[in-house]
Amino acid sequence: MHIQVKTIYHHCLHLGINKIRCIAMKENHILETKGVTINFNGLVAVDNVDFKLLEGESVGIIGPNGAGKTTFFNLITGFFPPTKGKIFFYGKDITNNPPHKRARMGIIRTFQLVSVFDSLSVLDNLLLSIINSSNIPPSKDNFYFAEAHKEDLKNLCLSSLSTLGLEQKAYLMTSELSYGDKRKLEIAVALSMNPKMLLLDEPFAGLSDQEIIEVSKIIKEFKKGFSMVIIEHKISRIVELVERLCVMHEGRLIAEGIPNQVLCDPLVREVYWGKEDGLVCSV
Amino acid sequence: MIAQLRKNILDLIIITAGFFAVLPIFGINRATDFIIFCIFVLGFNLLYGYMGRLSFGHMLYLGIGAYTITLFAEHVSKNPFLALIASILAGALIGVIIGPIVVRTTGACFALINLAFNQVGYFLALVALSRWTGGEDGMSAYFNKIALFDFGKKPVIFGFCLFSLLFTFFILKRLLSSPYGILIKSIKENEIRVKFLGYNTFKYKWIAFIISTTISSFAGALSILNYGYVTPSFIDPTRAVEVIFATLIGGAGSLYGALIGGVLYMAISNYLASYLSRWEMFLGFALLIIVFRFRKGVWGYVKDKFAIKAHGMVR
Repeated sequence: MHIQVKTIYHHCLHLGINKIRCIAMKENHILETKGVTINFNGLVAVDNVDFKLLEGESVGIIGPNGAGKTTFFNLITGFFPPTKGKIFFYGKDITNNPPHKRARMGIIRTFQLVSVFDSLSVLDNLLLSIINSSNIPPSKDNFYFAEAHKEDLKNLCLSSLSTLGLEQKAYLMTSELSYGDKRKLEIAVALSMNPKMLLLDEPFAGLSDQEIIEVSKIIKEFKKGFSMVIIEHKISRIVELVERLCVMHEGRLIAEGIPNQVLCDPLVREVYWGKEDGLVCSV
Repeated sequence: MIAQLRKNILDLIIITAGFFAVLPIFGINRATDFIIFCIFVLGFNLLYGYMGRLSFGHMLYLGIGAYTITLFAEHVSKNPFLALIASILAGALIGVIIGPIVVRTTGACFALINLAFNQVGYFLALVALSRWTGGEDGMSAYFNKIALFDFGKKPVIFGFCLFSLLFTFFILKRLLSSPYGILIKSIKENEIRVKFLGYNTFKYKWIAFIISTTISSFAGALSILNYGYVTPSFIDPTRAVEVIFATLIGGAGSLYGALIGGVLYMAISNYLASYLSRWEMFLGFALLIIVFRFRKGVWGYVKDKFAIKAHGMVR
């Protein structure tokens, strides 16, 4: 990392968290990556990234296109195994765990392009995630032979959908939803899985201004219950949602710290807006 | 609960009436063939229509059922029910053994690995194990009469096969309306996404494969109860096209589609074969029409036309 704009300790102080609690938080890392690297036939998409996430913390990752942000998510969620380095979740080495095991541990993600099942109904999309994480899962036999739309499960799905204003559309085919509603459904699916760490990959991409406001409100409302990492290009939106901001460039983490200070870092400004951005930066 | 029961009774009446309607046109022998073929299509359709995995080697699983029941009757017991159970277990066993290899693959690779296994099975039945299988000549199977079940009598075998079809249909219907059914449909659309929901897709694909091979093997065994002899044509990989055609004609991914496809394919092949020497060419034309005009098959077209919902009257 070239520049450490603010360490996490400065960040704690800035947030009014005292030093003792801050040190305690330091030990409470939910996620830690150590020297994570991935090399695609000579192209190093993620290069020796050390990253830590505290329990309950919200972190944003920004960077130009091709910086390696989504690839970094893919490494954390097990889409690819890293060429080098280790990934720890609650101190446990998960580097070689497959995606489904990581999801069961509470590492939940959304995708840059909305990823829901168009051929299923809205209700069935949610049902698949709720069955895996609710307190009333069907028993092994029931998973294969019970009616999927049992009252208790259906009610659980409908209540999840109602928190995002989608309950009226529960019985529609997902292919009939607008892009914004699909994004909300994807977030509803992610939230219903009881995440310990939620990774949101460009949650505002392709949404209208009104939809961005709605989705942003949903994220703000729910983020208290878990740790969260957001990749986003809409910087004005991401700074409202996160406590810490990281910047990636050419596969490396080049800066991290309090959002406004990171955005004033000369190197960040250079890689993001070019050398002569002409903008006045005030911290 | 009562609504569900009503739907099931309606399904039962429609299917039973449908096959009784075929009886006077094609005769009891052919009608029994139709039913057995429909069971085979139901097994294939689970894998292709619902899970999106096209197999070019499904004749292997049909053939395993056919050879197992014959060999069981020859060497172990002539009790038809024990022989049927042995065939069902053999179908499940082959799914358990080769499933872990084939379900790791998708697309052309999945289709061709199945075909490769089918070729191996065909060679074994035709040449390498001909001492036991009878090679090209095949072998006959004789079964004892058990209580009222004298499978030498055509009405008995017709009734038993119809019962078997209904049993398979309702088992599959239940399976496909369960969370597992939703899961395998989602695997067809986006398997990677399913993994990120916390599901070990390998396991669920393997289970679907085993169910499919078991049903196919069951169909193969019923064929032997009907015909009384087995030949390598039961395991001939070139005949895999029949079940693919039938699934596409009826409509992949639907239980009724599989039944309609099975009956239509058998009707076309039986009817045309008695008038034309190269009737397969017309099947080719039929497929072209389906591809361009009825992309979802006959049942898919009917459903769209009359807006029958998937959760409504029938699937």
